[in-house]
Amino acid sequence: MMPAGSATWLWDKLNVFATVFLGIFVEAVPYLLLGTFASGLVEVFIDRDGMSRWVSHRPAAAAISGAFMGMIFPVCECGVVPLTRRLFKKGLPLSAGISFLLAAPVLNPIVILSTASAFGWGQMLLWRFVVSLIIAVVVGLVFSVQGEPDEVLLPVLSGGDHDHVHAGAGDSIGGKIRKALLITVDEFFDMGRYLIIGSLLAAGLQTFIAQSTLLSIGSGPVLSVLVMLLLAVLLSICSTVDSFVALGFTGAFSFGSVLSFLVFGPMVDIKSTIMYLQVFKRRAVAYIILIPFMISLIAGLVFNYFVK
Amino acid sequence: MPQRMFRSYQGLILLGLCVFFISKAVNGQLTWYINSRFVPLTIIAIVFLAVMAQTIFSENRRSRQHELEHPEHHHEHDHAPSSAALWIMIIPLAIGLLIPARPLDSAAFTTKGFNTSAPLVSSDSSAQIFETESQERNILQWLKLFNYQDDITEFIGQEASVVGFVYFGDELEADQFFVSRFVVSCCAADGFAIAMPVRWEKSNSLEQDAWVVVKGKIQSIDLNDTRTPMIVAESVEPADVPAQPYLFP
Repeated sequence: MMPAGSATWLWDKLNVFATVFLGIFVEAVPYLLLGTFASGLVEVFIDRDGMSRWVSHRPAAAAISGAFMGMIFPVCECGVVPLTRRLFKKGLPLSAGISFLLAAPVLNPIVILSTASAFGWGQMLLWRFVVSLIIAVVVGLVFSVQGEPDEVLLPVLSGGDHDHVHAGAGDSIGGKIRKALLITVDEFFDMGRYLIIGSLLAAGLQTFIAQSTLLSIGSGPVLSVLVMLLLAVLLSICSTVDSFVALGFTGAFSFGSVLSFLVFGPMVDIKSTIMYLQVFKRRAVAYIILIPFMISLIAGLVFNYFVK
Repeated sequence: MPQRMFRSYQGLILLGLCVFFISKAVNGQLTWYINSRFVPLTIIAIVFLAVMAQTIFSENRRSRQHELEHPEHHHEHDHAPSSAALWIMIIPLAIGLLIPARPLDSAAFTTKGFNTSAPLVSSDSSAQIFETESQERNILQWLKLFNYQDDITEFIGQEASVVGFVYFGDELEADQFFVSRFVVSCCAADGFAIAMPVRWEKSNSLEQDAWVVVKGKIQSIDLNDTRTPMIVAESVEPADVPAQPYLFP
């Protein structure tokens, strides 16, 4: 028998850590594959500057159309990062890409259905949609003053850019699919490692920081919103299912606080932040995190103070 | 690292992930990590990983052949992608193989906490739970009923039969224990525990985390100022870990 105490404690913790980590990883892999495969298909089937012909270059119009592109590319926060980078390569205007990046994890058919099945076709769904749209468009407009995507994107070091696809892949449909699959592999490895680092971090924090302490300090109209925002980052769960998790908080937390969780979580969490940092320059990442944070906070406060 | 070797490693890792997922799907442990309704997505991912691995290996074969046929072409792609990326991708496999799989249990209570009440999902109605035979209701359904029905007199004395693992909480008396389950919406990361108090005179013969079937009559008690269903046990029998250790809201 092992002496009871620290050794068993550590072993128990390690087991919880492994289960939570594999939980996030197993859950995220299909979505990451979907996003990277979409990126591969975009690369081979949309020609250079294809996107720039379809999307308006006026900043407001671009930001709004970018926000609704999630309806066509139903990706969540893991898949959206490589796909956005690829769409930039195809001439997508900066403001459209940024608002796509932030909005797609919420404004897509899958997430709308899952939110509705948790909360019903009502206020929560409506405001989640509206506030996410506002944030995406605002951040998109902020970025439109930057001009070109190259000014906020990091140069691509491996994988994505020089696709290691051998000459002679051919222009047949089969050849194109094969090329798309090779790009999928490269991007899966490129983004997958950041998904893994992010999941390790999230699982570690969850294993050692008590959620109950966090929830117990979270009373009051201001603190409760802050706690929900922090929890959204900490939990790092996929936007397709976070409504069911949020539902668990509705007893203890107000409408505004839960709404801020549902709006901010899909835009910013540990794994998506690490993925952003590989694609965008640091200053851009700061804007991508801080503006949604501010607006989610304000939205939560407005609901807590002024609505019922 | 030469391009082709890098590709081979990529292919092997993809194959490894694919086999790992298949083994979890076959031995039924996928639901220890994710909600069962996402299992079809994992199956799709398995097919995808296999196709990707196959593409990589055939690409390598093609490139080798190309080199044999045209030795005069110097291979342009001989730059070395960093091998760090490859090492990181092995981490999930290493964790999955080295740490024995175990569903969430009371070890997670200290950080994840546990509840003796549960919210109602809009797509289920209390009427539906109401119609469920009392012995068919699980822990989650009992807690929901007590949360959402104003009048619970009807449930008092009903026969209950629930499966869960044993947890000894400080808030209970010596002849009581909690029978608990984790509720998982998405994956183990969002799991939270729910628990129903049980009164049984031989409570202290039980071991923490042991899976049991509790049969008995429902009673209402006040726990942390909340009306909570308690089972006055007639029998507590050891049980196997259910095929799906978690409940899904």
